Amino acid sequence: MSGSLNLTNDFVVKFANVNGSGSASANSMFAKSVLRMGVPVAARNIFPSNIQGLPTWYEVRVTGDGHLGRRGGVDLMVAMNPQTWDRDIAEIESGGYLFYDSTKVLPESKFRDDITVVGVPLTRICNEVYSVPRERQLFKNIIYVGALAALLGIEIEVIETLLAEQFAGKERLIKANVDALHMGRDYVRTNLTPLGLQVRRADAVGDRIYVEGNSAAALGAVYGGATVCAWYPITPSTSVVEAFTDYCAEFRIDAETGQAKYAIVQAEDEIASIGIVIGAGWNGARAFTATSGPGISLMTEFIGLSYFAEIPAVIMDVQRGGPSTGMPTRTQQADLISAAYAGHGDTKHPMLLPQDPGECFEMGALAFDLSDRLQTTVFVMLDLDIGMNEWLTEPFKWDDTRSLDRGKVMTYEDLESGVDFGRYKDVDGDGIPYRTYPGVHPSKGAYFTRGTSRNPYARYSEEGHVYVDNMQRLLRKFETAKSLIPAPELRKSKTATRTGVIYFGSTTPAMHEALEILASKGLHLDALRVRGFPFSDEVYDFIAAHDRVFVVEQNRDAQLRTLIVNEGDVDPAKLPPVLHFDGTPITARFIAAEIGTRLGATAPRSPVPEAAE
Amino acid sequence: MTLFLSERVRRGGRDLDLPGREEARANIHVGIDWLSSVSFGHINKIGRRVIVLGGGNTAMDCCRTSRRLGGEDVKVVVRSGFEEMKASPWEKEDALHEDIPILNFRVPKSFTHENGKLTGVVFEVVEAQYDDKGRRRLMPSGEPDEHYPCDDVLVAVGQENAFPWIERDIGLDFDEWGMPKVDEVTFQSTRPGVFFGGDAAFGPKNIIWAVAQGHDAAVSIHRYCQGEDVNDRPPPGFSLTSQKMGIHEWSYDNDVSNDARFRVPQRDKGESLKDVRLEVELGFDPKLGFAEAQRCLNCDVQTVFAEPLCIECDACVDICPVDCITFTEDGEEEDLRGRLNAPSLHLDQDLLVSNKLKTGRVMVKDEDVCLHCGLCAERCPTGAWDMQRFTLEMTHATAMTGGGACQAR
Amino acid sequence: MTYLAKPRLHHPSLSPNDLGFTRRDYEGSVSTLCAGCGHDSISAAIIQACYDLNLPPHRLAKLSGIGCSSKTPDYFLGASHGFNTVHGRMPSVLTGANLANRELIYLGVSGDGDSASIGLGQFAHAIRRGVNMTYIVENNGVYGLTKGQFSATSDKGSKSKRGVENHESAIDLVSLALQLGATFVARSFSGDKAQLAPLIRAALAHKGAAFIDCVSPCVQFNNHSGSTKSYDYVREHNEAVNRLDVIAKRAPIEVDYAPGTTTTVTQHDGSVLALHKLAAHYDPTDRIAAMTYLAQRQALGEVVTGLLYVDPEASDLHDSLETVSTPLTALGGKDLIPGSSVLAKINADLR
Repeated sequence: MSGSLNLTNDFVVKFANVNGSGSASANSMFAKSVLRMGVPVAARNIFPSNIQGLPTWYEVRVTGDGHLGRRGGVDLMVAMNPQTWDRDIAEIESGGYLFYDSTKVLPESKFRDDITVVGVPLTRICNEVYSVPRERQLFKNIIYVGALAALLGIEIEVIETLLAEQFAGKERLIKANVDALHMGRDYVRTNLTPLGLQVRRADAVGDRIYVEGNSAAALGAVYGGATVCAWYPITPSTSVVEAFTDYCAEFRIDAETGQAKYAIVQAEDEIASIGIVIGAGWNGARAFTATSGPGISLMTEFIGLSYFAEIPAVIMDVQRGGPSTGMPTRTQQADLISAAYAGHGDTKHPMLLPQDPGECFEMGALAFDLSDRLQTTVFVMLDLDIGMNEWLTEPFKWDDTRSLDRGKVMTYEDLESGVDFGRYKDVDGDGIPYRTYPGVHPSKGAYFTRGTSRNPYARYSEEGHVYVDNMQRLLRKFETAKSLIPAPELRKSKTATRTGVIYFGSTTPAMHEALEILASKGLHLDALRVRGFPFSDEVYDFIAAHDRVFVVEQNRDAQLRTLIVNEGDVDPAKLPPVLHFDGTPITARFIAAEIGTRLGATAPRSPVPEAAE
Repeated sequence: MTLFLSERVRRGGRDLDLPGREEARANIHVGIDWLSSVSFGHINKIGRRVIVLGGGNTAMDCCRTSRRLGGEDVKVVVRSGFEEMKASPWEKEDALHEDIPILNFRVPKSFTHENGKLTGVVFEVVEAQYDDKGRRRLMPSGEPDEHYPCDDVLVAVGQENAFPWIERDIGLDFDEWGMPKVDEVTFQSTRPGVFFGGDAAFGPKNIIWAVAQGHDAAVSIHRYCQGEDVNDRPPPGFSLTSQKMGIHEWSYDNDVSNDARFRVPQRDKGESLKDVRLEVELGFDPKLGFAEAQRCLNCDVQTVFAEPLCIECDACVDICPVDCITFTEDGEEEDLRGRLNAPSLHLDQDLLVSNKLKTGRVMVKDEDVCLHCGLCAERCPTGAWDMQRFTLEMTHATAMTGGGACQAR
Repeated sequence: MTYLAKPRLHHPSLSPNDLGFTRRDYEGSVSTLCAGCGHDSISAAIIQACYDLNLPPHRLAKLSGIGCSSKTPDYFLGASHGFNTVHGRMPSVLTGANLANRELIYLGVSGDGDSASIGLGQFAHAIRRGVNMTYIVENNGVYGLTKGQFSATSDKGSKSKRGVENHESAIDLVSLALQLGATFVARSFSGDKAQLAPLIRAALAHKGAAFIDCVSPCVQFNNHSGSTKSYDYVREHNEAVNRLDVIAKRAPIEVDYAPGTTTTVTQHDGSVLALHKLAAHYDPTDRIAAMTYLAQRQALGEVVTGLLYVDPEASDLHDSLETVSTPLTALGGKDLIPGSSVLAKINADLR
């Protein structure tokens, strides 16, 4: 058909499946096979809050240029779910392709005439070979991977290697899967021709790794020295603890005794989870919990206690669509305000804002140093997009000379030397007091921890000036935090500009791509990625240095912008928000269109529409 | 006729008639006489080496005065042990502080002399032995005698008869120490109509005792003069007044000081040894005096217990810093003393035992260790404990005569 | 309360324990609770138990929630670290503390509001996890700090100080603890320190979740007639099943009760619990029988006290998690960080 898309190493494949059909691992293998050919991919799961039966999608962006954000639009739809057929077909770009199971004959009205339709009788092939229904279901997935490999020019040996790695030691399974793979390939070779979308071997991946943010953050916790983890299952954070459990089982077992150098407790709820974390932190262990928005709501009272009683804790918040139960399996950056100010009364808490799994690892480890140093709760703000999707990211790095920074802790020797210990005394002027671990000394250093107001020596006091002094000291501590939080990252436009943009977290790859799109249209922006809260002066200097600074984020109420306005002296009119909050990851096209339009005359006349979900 | 004797006892210092006494008399002085000579300015120096014989306060005065009149090597030698010495503990402490050694268990045997001049004193070394009745006797230890050279000896031992002028055949009995036998309640001697009080009755005490005894003797004399039995005396009265002001406020100062006794500040030793007329003790300044006064345990404020109000919640038991309150089954005193929360160490100290409480138990309070801090009453939810000031109202003879009734006070 | 510090002066014969501490050394600040509060007697019993146990005060961590009872950890063991957490959430904080350092002894102090209402869930889960702790509920059947509302342990039919009758069923924490698998369950009465102090001592020595429900009259709001948590009511209806003597390990066992009336149970740490039976045939190692007995007696309006159940072979959460014997707090970077070479392997597996 004329007008068909001809794209090499730059297209989007979307798999439409039924949840629970075993498609996830096959789809993931498809993405990984592209990677193994040296071509970057960005893959995202779009899944329901459901175990079996509801629709689920897997979107793979093959991107030789390395644009890891979601692009928007679909070039090849692998339509395996009759339930969503119509909308899936509608989503295909004009000139795009449809791959479907042609076992059942469909009326012409079910198709579009501006796309290329590729039918493979997957069910028929399966039914001829397999008799067990479950096998039919599972191998169908592998068969379409084989067929797609042949259609898209993916080297079949790469997939065979992946299968061998996945089922290492289970030769029978390897063979069965390879056979299925070949069935798909062979059908295409015999009956069809390759598509205009092609994967061509390249060298654009480098030494990057392909990993989920949740898993990376869990590994960060291992390297950060976390020993106690308490949690309550909640999507999309559950896999943080699952990964932590796996890593601990591998790296934290005492070689001699076989005993665990960690403790993981699945608590009865999020309240108990954070309670356990705070109890362990109080007692000198590094402890964390992983949760999502609803969990933060439940933990709020304890977070306030951690702030006021100054107890280290780490919370990994894998954000999902809110409010309330919201969209449990969709992504958002909508917990910023509830995390930053969790608790009644005047409270605020440091947050780390990782852009990808690489930073999830770094910040996952750093959070423990920071929480010990600052003696308070530190949030690592992941989101479902980073947390539950495999991302191509820089390899994890660790400096073996680095040691755990336990912060200001008085030892037996310190106490014995006769220093004046006041648990809430600002000795060094940085607002951070010294603490002692329970049991440290027979007669010195004991104190009573409480959430009520107290004097520098931890004795109960409701005197106004004592309370005010303490609250001011906590502010000084928050000032100190600014110097410890990772600094923002500046991307200066090659062309001088008075327009800027601020963004963070999983928006990053889409933002970078959008900057390129805008630049190609003559729109130049300086860009600043904030990496944590509280904001350092660089953030406000950046705003001051520009006439207009877009703030791009994935929530309705411009929460990052609110924090920026709230914490500094900024005219809100200078900060136009760019907001994406439909639960799908933000796209470069969306950002470029929004900013382009707002920049007026020079904007493209009709922004590329966002595909409807 | 009645006679009341309360004269300050003048006791002559006793001499020591030991070998060498006559030959060396120029340098052997009777301590009390020597002290008055110093006081009157007749004597203003003494030899470099001085031995003071005796262990009472006179001996302490002698040795310390010697240090001020040129005595450099002054020592006190005593028959008894250190603890049994009659001198007040603080006097002994002060002597030691002025570098005066006290040698105990040494009995003087003779004075040594040469060419009519005293050269020293020979002592027999003894040890204390106790008989069945616990009486002490000093027995030779068997160790060789000791000789201490000296230039002067001050004798400050024993005392002469206090009443040489009372004839011994008038029906007034004296004890072995030459003191009249006096009834401790009525102050009457064995001869009706003759009363003693103050130092004349039981030896030296302070003026407070003397006044109290005067009051009691006055009651006796009044009754004697009325032809009534002096032993039949109206008892003293008392009153108890609640000290409670608020939930934890009392009209006495109940905050117990944890301080140990404060030392009275003293003049620098070098300075005070130069002049016999300089006061050694400088006295408390107001701040220190106040702190010392804070150590008062308010013995006049009593814990008063009202059984019907007690709910046996243990609050008083828990708060008592000295564990002097116990709720337990009733029993005989000896048995009860064995079951208290803290051992009852001093049997002469009373127990306060309540009537039976609701559970059938009794409240027992050992008065021995009570600090009168009032915390039991502060913690008592029902007011079963109260802190009440005890005022003793003595029977006074003036009231008796004025009112005409013996019960009046 | 009193605003004066309790004088440091103590009885001259107050004897030190094996560690050289007198009982007074285990005290804390002066209580700010109402005069006559049963909770103060429980604090005194805790002090006595720790003294008797020769416990180094700094090796115990005391935790509480919110409420009158939860204030009390300030009033004992001044040399221990204490943590007054949030309402009803002490069990989770204690669990975390215990996971961090298994070498300390954990004492949780709570009240009936803190444990039977807002914190019922956390109470239940800490017990069923077998956290090695002594959990004391100072149970007065009333909200004291907010002036006299019924609590979840107020008996149905009992009356408030204002004469209002309680129509809701009471939660019996002892029955719950037994059902949830607590391995040491006792009930006592703040007005009976002779019974309570040995129970606390035995509980502190117990390895596993030890629970003591201690009826503790609120003199201010729940000590009137019509209350089932008053001094008078509890004294009239107290049915003690046994009297406990705790005998330290290695000490010879000398129990001066008639033969056949005493059961001994040896705990994990070697201490021996000598139980003088007051109720014939009561076997404190039979959990099902204990539950039945409690239910029967409770139906008669009796308050069953004593050591109701003990499992001498109890294990704790650390056993289930198979954690190392070294406290997790004592592990350093060398023990915990796999290092860059391991990371290189992980990276390789992720390509």
